[in-house]
Amino acid sequence: MVTILLVLAGVISLGWWLATDPVSDFVTTQPGLDNRGEGGVVADIDIGAVGETLASLETELTETWPRFRGEHFDNISSSTIPLIDKFPEEGPDIKWSVSLGEGHAGAAIYKGVVYVLDYDEEQRADLLRAYALESGEKLWVRGYKINLKRNHGMSRTVPAVTEEHILTIGPRSHVMCVNRTDGTFNWGLNVEKEYGSEIPLWYTGQCPLIHDGKAIIAACGTALMVALDMETGEVLWETPNPHAWLMSHSSVMPFKFGGRMMYVYSAYGGVCGVAADGPDAGAILWESTAWNHQVIAPSPVCMPDGKIYLTAGYGAGAMVLQLSASGGSYSVEVLNEYTPKEGLACEQQTPVEFKGHLLGILPKDAGPLRNQLVCVHPDNFNQVVWSSGQDKRFGLGPYMIADNKLFILSDDATLTIARPGIREYIELDSYRVLEGHDAWGPLAIADGYLVMRDSKTMVCLDIAADRK
Amino acid sequence: MDKQNKSKDKGVKRRDFINTGVRLALGVSVVGTAAFTLKRSSTGKDYVWQIDPFKCTQCGRCATECVKAESAVKCVHAYALCGYCDLCGGYFKPGAKLETGAENQLCPTGAIQRKFIEEPYFEYVIDEALCIGCAKCVKGCSAFGNGSLHLQIRHDLCLNCNQCSIASVCPSDAISRVPADEPYKIKGDFIIEKEV
Repeated sequence: MVTILLVLAGVISLGWWLATDPVSDFVTTQPGLDNRGEGGVVADIDIGAVGETLASLETELTETWPRFRGEHFDNISSSTIPLIDKFPEEGPDIKWSVSLGEGHAGAAIYKGVVYVLDYDEEQRADLLRAYALESGEKLWVRGYKINLKRNHGMSRTVPAVTEEHILTIGPRSHVMCVNRTDGTFNWGLNVEKEYGSEIPLWYTGQCPLIHDGKAIIAACGTALMVALDMETGEVLWETPNPHAWLMSHSSVMPFKFGGRMMYVYSAYGGVCGVAADGPDAGAILWESTAWNHQVIAPSPVCMPDGKIYLTAGYGAGAMVLQLSASGGSYSVEVLNEYTPKEGLACEQQTPVEFKGHLLGILPKDAGPLRNQLVCVHPDNFNQVVWSSGQDKRFGLGPYMIADNKLFILSDDATLTIARPGIREYIELDSYRVLEGHDAWGPLAIADGYLVMRDSKTMVCLDIAADRK
Repeated sequence: MDKQNKSKDKGVKRRDFINTGVRLALGVSVVGTAAFTLKRSSTGKDYVWQIDPFKCTQCGRCATECVKAESAVKCVHAYALCGYCDLCGGYFKPGAKLETGAENQLCPTGAIQRKFIEEPYFEYVIDEALCIGCAKCVKGCSAFGNGSLHLQIRHDLCLNCNQCSIASVCPSDAISRVPADEPYKIKGDFIIEKEV
């Protein structure tokens, strides 16, 4: 009897054990649990509708910093004006200061006028503002109403300026062309609406390019890249986007190689070179999907020997491509790819090429050298020639070279002057200019005036040595 | 006879002296201990272990070195510092799709809930019952975000050992005793004592 009961109990237990699912209360972690919205309808924006003229300007200043990374796309000023190598005891001479909407948009300078595309949080408008370089006097504004929410700042691009025109691209990729002298509206393009483009995380960071009378925009929607006539806004050519690459924060860089001018762009999906002229203008000359990361802010650094240096943050590190030309066609191969701990990599700013070396600030995930300024030789991007040292770390801020001096801005708006070199880091001086944070907007310099900003304030410093 | 009595009297006095001395010493120590204990409790100068999030290097040992089977160290979230980003370095693996699928998440136990608030904001909430204190999310948030995710010792779980086993192996000396009346070092609520 006992045996039967035991067998029965065993059978029941076995049946219960087999029938019971021990993970029945587990919830499967699958896509969609965050209830992400579908995305709104792209708004119609009346580009250029807002604006006013406030003052006129007579100036004898002639120098320019006409676009992102300056006249030669290298972040090196060609000005011959001697600059200070040490700050006065009381700090740098701040000529003027203006409050801006939260963001990281940098300035362009053209013949005594500073241009910056700001987001006005009160008016809820993208506004291109023009200031007198020497006095900070407001000259005019031009823009358009648009509702934006804070997303690690709002503005983050640098205008492109020529003698006649200014070209801007706003946080939601609204392109605006205005007359340089008075801000009169010429034409506009709603890239998101016209090309179905997806606006990158934290808004558009691509700076517009004016080249050979054309506005060059990486639309990354139904067209990969577009060229528009600067005078009329007429579309001159559109590059197909067969792989549906998406818009990054990187900017289009002109590059002449193998006898042809091309536009190099690092998209989300891959990197390519687009013919800039000739009968096949707008055609893809070469492309590579080897470089494909989720967030790309730095722009490609194209070197004369065909090396193309690509870098990004968020663990991406860097890649070096070798571009080759033969019989009118191009090929590209990967020379090197490495993590941020293994060589020069940058998260936000584009490295500066100096005397055949590259200077850049490593990201936070670069191990012991994190946030340090380092120098590498293009023959070996993995070997750091020098670094700024563990006591001299920077951040995501910009850096540029002028008058053979390196100007480096830390996140907290501390401006450091160093002697650029290929053997060692030589610091000359540093001073905290502003009390804010996230001083990431690119620097601009002309006529001995340096324009810099933190997240909410832009200032103009007189750093000319001869005026002191 | 006088000599004997004299000697006997002298012996009693010595014993009394010792007894009195011992009693006095005991009394003083008891009263002193009581007074010290009373003073400590009245001034709140008990101490507990806590992590300085600005020293923490997210080595992962908090998850494995605690004497408790489930570590008393948990991730906490300083919402005031959070960017509410779509791409959260503390939630997603590098290069992952921005979807809540398990394969995209950095947290090995799925202890972070991500909720869409409004375009372009997402909120990240820690489920402490699932958190094992491994600091993977903290590392991602510190490297790519504002550092709003950070580790803290939960005092409802901590045994407050005389010698914290995590503190003894912490490579950055981030764990120290702090006053029990200020038991947490939540980012944004305290100031770094010294910039490193």
